[in-house]
Amino acid sequence: MKIKVIEEKNKIPTRAKAVKAKKIVKTKKVVVAKIANKKVEAGKPRVAIVSLTSCEGCQFVLLDLGVRFLEFTEQVELVDFRLIEDEEDDGGMLDLVLVEGNPVTKENEKTLLSARKRAKLLVALGNCAAMGGIPEMKNYHEGVSTIKHVYKYLQGITNPEIREINNFVKVDFVFPGCPINGEEFLKCIPKLLKGEIPTLPDQPVCVECKKAGNRCLLLDKKPCFGPMILGGCNAVCPSSRAQCQGCRGLRETGNVTAMRAMLKNMMSDEQFQNMTEIFGLRDDLEEREKKDKRKKR
Amino acid sequence: MKIKINHIAKIEGHTGFMASVLNGDVKSAKFQVQEGVRLIEGVLIGREYQDMPLIAQRICGICPVVHNLTSIKALENAMGVSVTYETKKLRTLLEYAQFIHSHALHLFFLSLADFLDMNNDIELISKYSAEAKMAIKIREYGMEIVKIVGGRVVHPLTNEVGGFKKAPDREALKKLVGDSEDILQIALSLGEFFRGIKIPEFSRVTEYISLGKNGEYAIYDGDVISNLGLHISVKKFENNFLELQKQKEVIKRVKHNGQSYMVGAIARINNNRAKLRDNASNYLRSLGWTFPDYNPFHNILAQMVEVIQSIEESKRIMLELLNSDLNEVITKEYKVCEGVGVAAIEAPRGTLYYHVDVDAKGYVKNVNIITPTAQFLSNLEDDIAEYIPQILKLKDKEKEKKLRAFIRAYDPCISCAVH
Repeated sequence: MKIKVIEEKNKIPTRAKAVKAKKIVKTKKVVVAKIANKKVEAGKPRVAIVSLTSCEGCQFVLLDLGVRFLEFTEQVELVDFRLIEDEEDDGGMLDLVLVEGNPVTKENEKTLLSARKRAKLLVALGNCAAMGGIPEMKNYHEGVSTIKHVYKYLQGITNPEIREINNFVKVDFVFPGCPINGEEFLKCIPKLLKGEIPTLPDQPVCVECKKAGNRCLLLDKKPCFGPMILGGCNAVCPSSRAQCQGCRGLRETGNVTAMRAMLKNMMSDEQFQNMTEIFGLRDDLEEREKKDKRKKR
Repeated sequence: MKIKINHIAKIEGHTGFMASVLNGDVKSAKFQVQEGVRLIEGVLIGREYQDMPLIAQRICGICPVVHNLTSIKALENAMGVSVTYETKKLRTLLEYAQFIHSHALHLFFLSLADFLDMNNDIELISKYSAEAKMAIKIREYGMEIVKIVGGRVVHPLTNEVGGFKKAPDREALKKLVGDSEDILQIALSLGEFFRGIKIPEFSRVTEYISLGKNGEYAIYDGDVISNLGLHISVKKFENNFLELQKQKEVIKRVKHNGQSYMVGAIARINNNRAKLRDNASNYLRSLGWTFPDYNPFHNILAQMVEVIQSIEESKRIMLELLNSDLNEVITKEYKVCEGVGVAAIEAPRGTLYYHVDVDAKGYVKNVNIITPTAQFLSNLEDDIAEYIPQILKLKDKEKEKKLRAFIRAYDPCISCAVH
């Protein structure tokens, strides 16, 4: 039996005021036995794609694969994918569930917890699920005044602090990005369907950026997070002369301190912080910086 | 009697629906929106203006192009930034490409199964595989344009205040022009197929609101017009339309003169059909409608008309751009200054409005976003209230099916509406 060590991100949003502590997984390290040697039952693997609160762009990346997505659906029993089917989900066990978005409403939370209970493997589909994404931005604003700006009547509107799905359930694998990379999905999915966990190469965005022949934005004094961020996106942003803002998350071995020092000449601390809030990078970065400091000591 | 649908699949976002009927009279017909709030308007406040287009486009994964462009236009209006003719053309091309792939998705993959009595697309695709391939080809053409011009299909990257970060590749545009004629023919064949689909009869008089412009089918700009004679500038929109939040609702509703109204493909076709290009115009004529046409199920066919229009128009724009200096689209220097700006663009599902207030340093002070679905949701409820008596005698399951089909014909986007 394959044993996987998963480090739970025991994190509390920076300006969290009303975090319900009971929901946060307390354990730092949980050893989890993966149900890998349990052979998939006869027939096709049962897969569900569920969506919490999000723009649904990651689901569209899948649909946008066109014929190649249809080929994927032929290999599996697609138990739930609301974008293309009306039939109610049968509620049975799943081999794989892909979760897009963030649990904002109570209903979202229920969907997420039940997905975990039913599935052998649970995979985060994209930045909102994995890092909090756009929904997490509101954590960094004054709670009541932000919602008051949008709504006159607050009664009946759920407006929790946003936390990544791994604060609610165990996550076996992450498809990073806002949105995810469809090609990466196709590359990783065969392994997942076999019940195995794929690994993404730990290389910065810069590797693919150089390969694409782009002139480095940092050389032009344009702030780009590329060096500390996990590649695999084909450097799609710098290839359009847009800076990398870190939607795929920090690299395991990314040098955050060096990156920050380099960016000091190009942007103020406030600008840096604001930019890291867009894709939910800020809390991860703060955690990494703390960890690095501890290591130094 | 209560009619309750817990969750409507095959639309963007999460919503249920409930109606109550007493002795044959519909007492209420209401959506129960289950979408979580992201407070996009709230989180934009205090941020630098450059962040706004890329955050706002993440309201919606199917129509990011229009959220991106409308926020850019509103910011440009706020700061008095003008852009080149080529930039406007390239943005209009993006818009048309967005229409093509969003409409082709809705027409075929979200709505069609309803009229063929099927429950899922896997079944639909295996039975109508030739048509499915056509729909996919059309979508891919639209997506390819967005990719070449915008850098990526979901959440494009090249647009910014003042123009584009990068000009599209000339060779890639040439190739797309070369593909255009084939794609147009495919769209015309798919149009034939859709003309043969039996669409339910239903009609209720309403007001159709869209942009309108002299001499062209208004997509990227224009005034706000209606079939009842309304004609105001986009600046006056918020004075003439009332956006309201009702208690316990996460979705805001918009009314004109106290009444619900309709936006989207069917509204545009009703208001602007005289400005369609030849193929689209001929196809529309072949449908044999009399105008004004008040059947909301026709929204699907109106989208088909617009797919044809968008392909024709995309080809024209690409040819024009290939004959000009593409580097003219690159952002030129501009001054950041204080101001209030409003802008409207036709999104696939209807007119999208942005209002933004920027301070002298370029920080966002205030934002209001009014989406198409927020505008037409009340109209949809009013339509359904009138539709229910027609289907009251059907079995529960059948009734539910009819209602789902009705709702999907509108092509609602709940993620947009709540944002």
